[in-house]
Amino acid sequence: MLIYLTKRLGLSAAVIGLVVLVLFSLLHLIPGDPATIALGPRATPEAIARYAAKMHLDEPVWMQFLIYVGNALTGDLGVDVFSDRPVTQIINERIGFTLALVCTGMGWAVILGIPLGCLAAVKPNSVLDRVTGVLSVGTIAVPSFLVSIWALLIFAVQLRWLPAIGAGEPGDMHDQALHLILPAFAIGLAWVGYLARMVRASMLEVMGETYIRSARAFGLTPRKVVFGYALRVAILPTITLIGMGFGGLISSTVFAEIIFARPGIGKLIFDAVMARNFPIVQGAVLVATALYIIVVLLSDLLIAWFDPRVRETL
Amino acid sequence: MAKDMTPPDETLLDIRGLSLEFRTPRGRVKALRDVSFPVRKNRIIGIVGESGSGKSTILWSILGLLSGNAEVTAGEVLFEDRDLLHTSQRDLQAVRGEEISVVFQDPMTSQIPVLTYARQMFDILYRRPELSREEKRRMAVEMLEKVGIPDPAARIDQYPHHFSGGMRQRAGIGMALLTGPKLLLADEPTTALDVTMEAQIIHLLQELQSETGATIVLVSHNLGLIAELCDDVVVMYAGEVVETGDVRSIFHDPQHPYTRALLECDPARIEKQAGKLPVIPGDIPDLVRPQHGCIYAPRCQRVIEGVCVTTPPPNAGTAGGHARCHLLDGPFHDPEWPPPAEVLTVKAGETGRPAGPKKIGEEPLLDVSDLNVRFRTMGALHARLKGVADPFVDGVLDVSLSVRPGETVGLVGESGSGKTTLGRAVLNLLRSHGGAIDFEGEQIRNMPERRFKPLRRDMAMMFQDPVGSLSPRKSVRALVTEPFEIHGISGVDLDAEAERLADLVRLPKPLLGRYPHELSGGQARRVGVARALALNPKLIIADEPTAGLDVSVQGEILNLMADLQAEHGLGYLIITHNLPVVRHIADRLAIMYLGRVVEQGDAEEIFRSPAHPYTRALVEGIPQPDPDRRRTHVSISGEVPSLMNRPVGCDFATRCPCVQPRCREEKPPHFTMNDGRVHACLFPLK
Repeated sequence: MLIYLTKRLGLSAAVIGLVVLVLFSLLHLIPGDPATIALGPRATPEAIARYAAKMHLDEPVWMQFLIYVGNALTGDLGVDVFSDRPVTQIINERIGFTLALVCTGMGWAVILGIPLGCLAAVKPNSVLDRVTGVLSVGTIAVPSFLVSIWALLIFAVQLRWLPAIGAGEPGDMHDQALHLILPAFAIGLAWVGYLARMVRASMLEVMGETYIRSARAFGLTPRKVVFGYALRVAILPTITLIGMGFGGLISSTVFAEIIFARPGIGKLIFDAVMARNFPIVQGAVLVATALYIIVVLLSDLLIAWFDPRVRETL
Repeated sequence: MAKDMTPPDETLLDIRGLSLEFRTPRGRVKALRDVSFPVRKNRIIGIVGESGSGKSTILWSILGLLSGNAEVTAGEVLFEDRDLLHTSQRDLQAVRGEEISVVFQDPMTSQIPVLTYARQMFDILYRRPELSREEKRRMAVEMLEKVGIPDPAARIDQYPHHFSGGMRQRAGIGMALLTGPKLLLADEPTTALDVTMEAQIIHLLQELQSETGATIVLVSHNLGLIAELCDDVVVMYAGEVVETGDVRSIFHDPQHPYTRALLECDPARIEKQAGKLPVIPGDIPDLVRPQHGCIYAPRCQRVIEGVCVTTPPPNAGTAGGHARCHLLDGPFHDPEWPPPAEVLTVKAGETGRPAGPKKIGEEPLLDVSDLNVRFRTMGALHARLKGVADPFVDGVLDVSLSVRPGETVGLVGESGSGKTTLGRAVLNLLRSHGGAIDFEGEQIRNMPERRFKPLRRDMAMMFQDPVGSLSPRKSVRALVTEPFEIHGISGVDLDAEAERLADLVRLPKPLLGRYPHELSGGQARRVGVARALALNPKLIIADEPTAGLDVSVQGEILNLMADLQAEHGLGYLIITHNLPVVRHIADRLAIMYLGRVVEQGDAEEIFRSPAHPYTRALVEGIPQPDPDRRRTHVSISGEVPSLMNRPVGCDFATRCPCVQPRCREEKPPHFTMNDGRVHACLFPLK
């Protein structure tokens, strides 16, 4: 177990290192001098020289990389080109909004999708199963930005039930929660379908296993058999899917964040790319990657917790 | 015995006129037709039949756990005067696990892998709210102790995969008996286990039954097991009960031609190495359209034209039960039937020339000497960290073996004995780590695949799972000619070859256009034999060639293999755990235990006087299809030790009934006896 964890953490570190390298070289591969980009075309040569010295642009490339890595390790991801504020601080302000959105979006998808999948699998080819099947495919097929726009038009513009844009008043939990509903609905909808399909498929497989028949032969209640026995095994592949989806959502919330004008990592990256604000792009992508890796690692550990056979081979 | 004092009319479960159909795309399969028999209290009743006889379906209909496409069309299942077929699911749920419990066929798949035994047993006791957690746990621990789980208080918190197959089945029996059910259903409880484990489980069931007085319904295809364990027997064929009776009358004086044939086909019953094994020709009938009259008539040797298409007289009374046959009653009653036990009523094999004296070559075809196969147990880094100097186990340890042309060598051992590993190493499918493998004088051990490939034509493999080893997307025609394709042999008329091979293995030609899932077990085996023979090999390695086949069919495959050997001078290496089968075909035997050959020599000699105690345990462990020859004791106890901690001295010392102190210290070398037999025992028997 300890060896497994060490291995996984080492691997995670290697992946993050690779990401840093790619991000770093991206900056040097795209045409244009970073200092000129940062200060604009009309900057004086002195200003550019000053800027280059400050940003270590006069050092050899490998040295610049080492400085960047060293700084990143100490939590310093550089400063915003325009406002001079530390990138770490900017990301810190935004990350909470993204995490709240992703957790809520994935959360309601899990709460709805898993039971739907179970029920569909318990009574295959029933009305519920067919309806779930059609709706699943439908929601998976519709892109989330379309869902966002429609949700915005219907619930915020037409019905005026929910606020349209922003993340709510700082400090006002109720207001923030209200602002969370529509974007979370939009990004979670496809996942309801995904999870229902996935759980249905693996439940159908597990329900055919002989140990499920054993449980029924011992007279256990249908609820116990489905949720206590079958789901416990069938959930395992779904956990992996949720973990990867969770990680993926962290960076793909960008549509929802733009449409609903929510502050967040996705929006931050988008704006920074448009403005060629490279320190922000680097920092935000790095944080998103790290979060992704952590979530996937957590889902693997969760599977190990559920399945003793996996746990012992770690 | 206590059970004889029970009045015989006390019926616990009464199945009356049960008829059941399965809705399938092909039509309604009439899986059970008018099945009736009583289950008497405190007795063990055995339901015996081949695959497709409907024996398991009866079991599941008792529990109300039939698959969704099943439909009961008539009859009742009375359990203490309640008709279980017309009981609501909720009421049935109360009966299941409490009053009627089940021991399952395969303990490897019938216990949920992600819950501990403690948790699984708590769950079974959910209907006992009056018991506290501690009391339930104590009950469970006591039950595990009763079924022979060592250190039950600790092992109850383990998961099924921590238990060996035999231990799992013990735990499975414990779970079934936890609530003290009145009726225990056992579905092939030992089929997935090794011979020595089977003996232990039979013994355990007998003990528990006489102790608790539970009534047991045992479903099995294994006649030996039925004879050993049961008081009453129901013989089923193609969804019908053909004969019932007490165990002695069924085994000593069978009335129905099918019962008689079934008993004659059992290889455990035939003492000597017969030239041909008896078989029941034909296949089980299509139950979508079962014919009128006697269901067995198309395969029966005593069929009377025009008569057997009418329903046989019911309940032709015999000593303890009834049999349905025109020969027994009515106008066509034959006073000569049934003939004395020595007379064979079934054909001794298919047509083909009788096996004459075997021609066995002098020079070995395959010569394995001191072969070692080792498996890595942990990664190099892990081993270094844990300070393990040798992170390997010996899967095969110093094995020497030879097969001559025309000779059949049986490689026998329990699961984990390394017999399959040895087979794979010989075929170069696995790296070996020492010793030599000579094939026709050429050293082939760890030969690079590029150079070995041409040799593969001369050595073929018959795989254990006949259907699973065939690609489901290829027709039989494509499958039998696939070896030509693999070896890039052109200029062959594949269609002609397919027909030649079909003839060779006596596979009906129309089957060439079918796909594997459309074949019966015996037919799929024949395809496997045809594939092995396609390129005229010299050596065939057969892994469990009759596993999963019914007794009436397994004779056909073995006879076929014998014919082909006589015709082509093939050498066979037959890997199996089935001693009765190997006895009839093998010239020599090698018995493996923990990767080592413990005894090797002439097959008949080994059966007559085993030198190694392990061999003796295996030979004695064969359940005899004769209720008068029940084993009184279990010859060896315990389990095969893990390869990870191989015993210091003799590998078998931990389980040996005649172990001496020296056996625990010294690893016995291989001794050669006067008759050329080799054994590895410091104190050989006799």
